[in-house]
Amino acid sequence: MDVLVFMISGTLAAATALIFAAMGELVAEKSGMLNLGIEGMMATGAAMGFVAATVSGSYTLGFFAAAGLGCVLSLVFAVLTLVFRANQTATGLAIGILGLGLSSAIGKNFESMTLPGLPDMPLGPLADIPLIGPMFFQLDVMVYVSILLVVATWYVLNHTKLGLNIRAVGESPENAHALGLKVRWIRAGCVAFGGAMAGVGGAYMSLAYTPLWADGMIAGRGWIVVALTVFGTWMVPRVAFGAYLFGSISLLELSIQAFGVNVPSQLMSAMPYLVTIVMLAVISRNKLFIRLNSPASLGATLKL
Amino acid sequence: MRLLKTLMITALAGLTAVPAIAEEKLKIGFLYPSPIADVGWSAELNAGRLAIEEHFGDKVETVFVENVPEGPDAARIMNQMAAQGADMIMLGSFGYMNDGIKLAQQRPELTFIHASGFKLAPNFGNFQSRNYESSYLVGLAAGDVTESNVIGIVAAYAIPEVIGMINGFALGVQKVNPDATIKVVWLNSWFDPPKAQDSARALIAQQTDVVYSLYQDTPSVVTVAEEEGVWVINTSSDMKKYAPNWLLASQIADWSSYFIASAQATMDRTFEGKPFWGGMADGTVDVKSWSDKISDETMAMIKEAEEAMRAGTFHPLTGPVMDQDGTERLAAGETIADGDLLGIDWLVKGVETRLPN
Repeated sequence: MDVLVFMISGTLAAATALIFAAMGELVAEKSGMLNLGIEGMMATGAAMGFVAATVSGSYTLGFFAAAGLGCVLSLVFAVLTLVFRANQTATGLAIGILGLGLSSAIGKNFESMTLPGLPDMPLGPLADIPLIGPMFFQLDVMVYVSILLVVATWYVLNHTKLGLNIRAVGESPENAHALGLKVRWIRAGCVAFGGAMAGVGGAYMSLAYTPLWADGMIAGRGWIVVALTVFGTWMVPRVAFGAYLFGSISLLELSIQAFGVNVPSQLMSAMPYLVTIVMLAVISRNKLFIRLNSPASLGATLKL
Repeated sequence: MRLLKTLMITALAGLTAVPAIAEEKLKIGFLYPSPIADVGWSAELNAGRLAIEEHFGDKVETVFVENVPEGPDAARIMNQMAAQGADMIMLGSFGYMNDGIKLAQQRPELTFIHASGFKLAPNFGNFQSRNYESSYLVGLAAGDVTESNVIGIVAAYAIPEVIGMINGFALGVQKVNPDATIKVVWLNSWFDPPKAQDSARALIAQQTDVVYSLYQDTPSVVTVAEEEGVWVINTSSDMKKYAPNWLLASQIADWSSYFIASAQATMDRTFEGKPFWGGMADGTVDVKSWSDKISDETMAMIKEAEEAMRAGTFHPLTGPVMDQDGTERLAAGETIADGDLLGIDWLVKGVETRLPN
């Protein structure tokens, strides 16, 4: 039973950082902006959040500081690509590297320090239900916020005028412009949202999931986010499913090893990546569907 | 990804290094694989650097570059140090070996000391610790405090040094508690604190009540143990402050005397490229912060074994030792040869998890 609780509650927590960053990236990509700097923005968010929370003693402040700095980094990306028409791929990579360097500079004096970790927030009587309670209702507040974020992102993108505008800008900036939409502002806003969410995701790693700062602790999770968005064919439910799947397989791998089952551990370490990519590729195998969903102008330099 | 940062650090190291060339000082360069923190492997190496500075004072000058990725970056940085007049270079990671030995052959007037490798040259020595000795001691303690009789190890990669430590640990556990089972989770990653924590949680979810954090550079596993209320043993520096209630013991390594001796030999031009195996006997390896919850009886055993190892009369890997398949690897009374320990590829009976192939 302990194992089951560990798996379910652990998956929810393991996926939370990915969910935040992936929802942000999804919105940015829907507007046609391919931001490959997520890894760096998550790292910066992790460092900034940790430093701010340690110095001020407030987790809230930590998350806001992380979101703020993620936002600033992504706006640099937005200015370079939208105002100066720099190539999105190259700019994104450069900002990502900048973010990684920035994160070690910010966290330099806090290397290997720890925090108590974001406290759990039991959801009233629900938390007392045997088995179900510890699995779903005794987690920290950001896990619940991330689930709300999934619902909100899905609703806004698909059922509001704002969502329609974002998608229009991502499909054809020229047409959107002709219709009177402020293409640059909408794109900049989406990128800023993406950067802020990447910052929050990173801060979740350093403030709640692994409450410590260590240089390099994001360890490639930003790239997982980029992959999830693409393999999830830019659909909110699929991307979220991919994040939870990735989280659960990475925990399952460790649980199987801890059981003492003798499988090659190198294979096990590759499992989360393999399973997630295969699953999402199978779900999204319809080519027409991919073409319908992928933002047509994704990654293209603005010609306005 | 770390290229930019490494470039910047190298540039800084270069700037600070320039004025020293004119002076007649022994210049020593250090390459660390991870950032220097309060604790961890790089922190232990850096303590050795500080010991050199303290010992020699004005006669030496040290430069260091931290967080150096193995591969072309490491090669570039060590070449640059050599070009800037370093007389001696300390290479702090296994993966710097091939680039280091290449440079050593090009520059025979320089001396090199390399952590945990196996290649040697006349001016290229290596150093490692007999950590399996301290692993045996903490194993005794782990066997004493476990109530569930399930002990879990979070380990990075299955390299000989780590295997030797697991074997020493397991033999210690079995000496006190023959019923205990030992499980290992292999991370297949030198550095992934979140994954290390998840591994500890996975082990704890399966009744593990003593976790052995084997070469996790950060306090990741230690903090989980403190939070969950299970015992934890740590390698690479003392982490008592991260788990004041549940730290069973910390294994530490102190490179000061070896580093100082190597610097002295470089000055005197008597350096020889030899392997150095530091153990309990010469003070390189030690255990700190024993918990007071270990029974007096076991603590007496620990002290006795410690004294015997310091005196050189006891080797933890002494037969009869069986491997996981039940094959006798060491006959009664036989101790393992250093050469065999360097390439050890079997785990002792009682460890449940197999080695990755």
